[in-house]
Amino acid sequence: MSSDLWLQVERLLPHVERPTRYIDHEWGACRRDDAAYRVALMYPDAYEVGMANQALEVLAARLQELEDVATERVFLPWVDMSAAMREAAIPLFTLESYTPVCEVDLFGITLSNELTYSNVLEALDLAGIPLRAVDRDDSHPLVIGGGPSAHNPEPMAPFFDAILIGDGEDAVQEIVASHRASIASGVTREESVHALATIEGVYVPSLYTPGSDGRCMASQPAPDRVRRRILADLDAYPAPVCPVVPYADVVHDRATVEVLRGCSRGCRFCQAGMVYRPVRERSADSIVRDAIAGLACTGYEELSLTSLSTADHSQLEPILRRLVARLEGTGTAISVPSLRMDSFTVPLARLLGNGRKSGLTFAPEAGSQRLRDAINKNITEEEVVTAVHEAFTAGWRRVKLYFMIGLPTETDEDVRAIGALVEKVLHVAREATPKGERGGLRVAVSVATFVPKAHTPFQWDGQTPIDEVRRRQRILRDSVPHRGVELSWHDPSSSLLEAALARGGREMADGIEAAWRVGARFDAWTEQFSLTRWLEAFASVGLDMTAAASTAYVQGEPLPWSHIDSGLAEKFLRLERARADSAITTPDCTFEECTGCGVCTDLGVDISIAEGGRRG
Amino acid sequence: MAEGFKLRICFRKSGRLRFLSHLETGRAWERAARRAGLPYAVSQGFTPRMRIAFGPALPVGTAGEREYLDIVLKRFIPVAEVTEVLRASVVPELGLVTCGYVPPAEGSLASRLTIAVYEVEIEGGSPQQEIERSLNALVGTGRLSVEHKGKHKVFELAKALPKKPEVRSQEGRTIVRMWVRMGEQGSLRPEVFIAAAVGPDRVVSVTRTDLLIEDQQSWRRPL
Repeated sequence: MSSDLWLQVERLLPHVERPTRYIDHEWGACRRDDAAYRVALMYPDAYEVGMANQALEVLAARLQELEDVATERVFLPWVDMSAAMREAAIPLFTLESYTPVCEVDLFGITLSNELTYSNVLEALDLAGIPLRAVDRDDSHPLVIGGGPSAHNPEPMAPFFDAILIGDGEDAVQEIVASHRASIASGVTREESVHALATIEGVYVPSLYTPGSDGRCMASQPAPDRVRRRILADLDAYPAPVCPVVPYADVVHDRATVEVLRGCSRGCRFCQAGMVYRPVRERSADSIVRDAIAGLACTGYEELSLTSLSTADHSQLEPILRRLVARLEGTGTAISVPSLRMDSFTVPLARLLGNGRKSGLTFAPEAGSQRLRDAINKNITEEEVVTAVHEAFTAGWRRVKLYFMIGLPTETDEDVRAIGALVEKVLHVAREATPKGERGGLRVAVSVATFVPKAHTPFQWDGQTPIDEVRRRQRILRDSVPHRGVELSWHDPSSSLLEAALARGGREMADGIEAAWRVGARFDAWTEQFSLTRWLEAFASVGLDMTAAASTAYVQGEPLPWSHIDSGLAEKFLRLERARADSAITTPDCTFEECTGCGVCTDLGVDISIAEGGRRG
Repeated sequence: MAEGFKLRICFRKSGRLRFLSHLETGRAWERAARRAGLPYAVSQGFTPRMRIAFGPALPVGTAGEREYLDIVLKRFIPVAEVTEVLRASVVPELGLVTCGYVPPAEGSLASRLTIAVYEVEIEGGSPQQEIERSLNALVGTGRLSVEHKGKHKVFELAKALPKKPEVRSQEGRTIVRMWVRMGEQGSLRPEVFIAAAVGPDRVVSVTRTDLLIEDQQSWRRPL
């Protein structure tokens, strides 16, 4: 039986912000006190951000199937709470049983984006676990990472015993089984960590040494390149239908069903679109079954059908029709994340508009056709205009548009084209809205700074320097209409940090640790983030963060992530990079012929389209 | 609220769930009603919502033993059945105490509930009589001026506290029971009154034990 810190924690709660973050006892929270093996799964950010993470729900559900294993949630206490905990000498705890994280067997941490990296160090320190894997001993849990940012694991590699690359459904069970076998046979910590390297998709950083040319060299028993783990059939496991239902107002507070994984539209900036290939659709029957079961089990008033590109599901319309029929009169909204504008149709708009209307989000990404072709967005202006017209005709009064600036090959003309496109959208939206309702009409425009990512055709490109980004922002601000448009920005200084941590090698770890030591944490929260703190911390350990973000890599030379095999052929990425320069588009292989990206052959999987469905 | 069946639910907010805010408590109960599969009515309009209404807000950190909500059902379901499905759909700390139907024309909980009964635990040390004397002395002054979030408010104690507070000792703890009148101008927070009477930082816990309707001279529970 492990320690229970509740009574100590309870005393702090009247004095901290949003105590609901720390009280557990939500509907669906599951506690197994007698389990022999304990797992703590952490999303390294505040409760209300972490509770929105679907991947952890999936992993928790897979682990809960294992006998004698307890899986509990951990989030990073907000700054007021962590200060109070340090003062009261209370270590980081799991929510369900208030067990100190340092007492569990496995501490799993999601690497969902680079801006949470300092939070990982904060969590390890609060837990009383040495920051670096090399300093840990038998008394400490195994610290294992995973998630989208793990595709370039190097900047965080020294802080993890192992990192899973790719899909976790099967791998988590294998990792736990391997560790339990190691514990049972009484082998050393080092041996149990090394054993993990034989599991497909598991990267054990201590078995790889960065050479002088930057390439990481493997030693036994690790493979030369870690091949991304992939789940071939998404219908192999049901969606987690009974996840924990938070009391607090969390970021995505709704029932979710993943309808497909992967997207091969081939946007050249998009890491997810590259590293989650190929497209694997879930069947219509299992989506409807899990959606209805999920709503019944959680009581949510909204259902989201999630994926990288939900409107691409070959059976989306029949699925929505079935769901709308089942949910009639219950006041339940159905939503989908950002939609492709070329897949948005009148029937789809009507189906989504049934019940409660949630917001609509589209991502044209670039303003000019030339730049949309260069990034392979494959959307025409006509498609943008038609989608907006249909949405507003179907009754929507708000639309959100995502754009990026700083994309490779971008010129001032491309930036101004964003303004022109927004103006056109606004005009079309007004025309499609009855006169009396035009007051509530709004077009929200959200502009991010491009961050080059590993395993994409733009992986060699440096990020546009921040002063130049700011100059282009000013151009944009002057070209976007003011009335009826809400313009918002991602802070380019946090995109600079994101780029440095997304592109850098293992040496970045020293910079991350130095920044955490001078107080960096919650970098995704504008009020907590300080670029100066990061720049100075990097400089203090002899690193240039700006250069790490903006210096281009040379094609043909090793990259910090060359030992991570995402399945993509380098020659495909190079070809795509060249086509970007010529603004030549590449079609989606689920609609047209194979593009030779290499994933299906390398990973031994196939595109999987739902039965009865057809694309293209 | 004309058609349909108005079900009044009495529930508690207890244990660690006393840290829930009013909004969080409301959302948790809405979801419990959905999980229970109650045939709740939905409002008309652009964003249809469950027709549910709550009694007066309980602050974060304050427990409640008999809190209320009204929900309109499209179909009549026997109380025994409602009780059974709700017990299985909500965590014990936010559990159902009792429920029953009220006439559709019955006024809203927010307007009808005007008396709140609290029990405030005060940390030990002073004898019961001394606490009683301090409370009576404060009531005797007739008025209490309160600063809350930069706002200044004066309470007429004869109106704000319609009944004299009672003090009792129980297993070494000192407990004050108070009856507070809730009005449109807000109500006196029991911990503020106690702090003004016996000094700051002595309140261990506050529990709202009951909410009552004032009818002429008598008080009654809403169910």
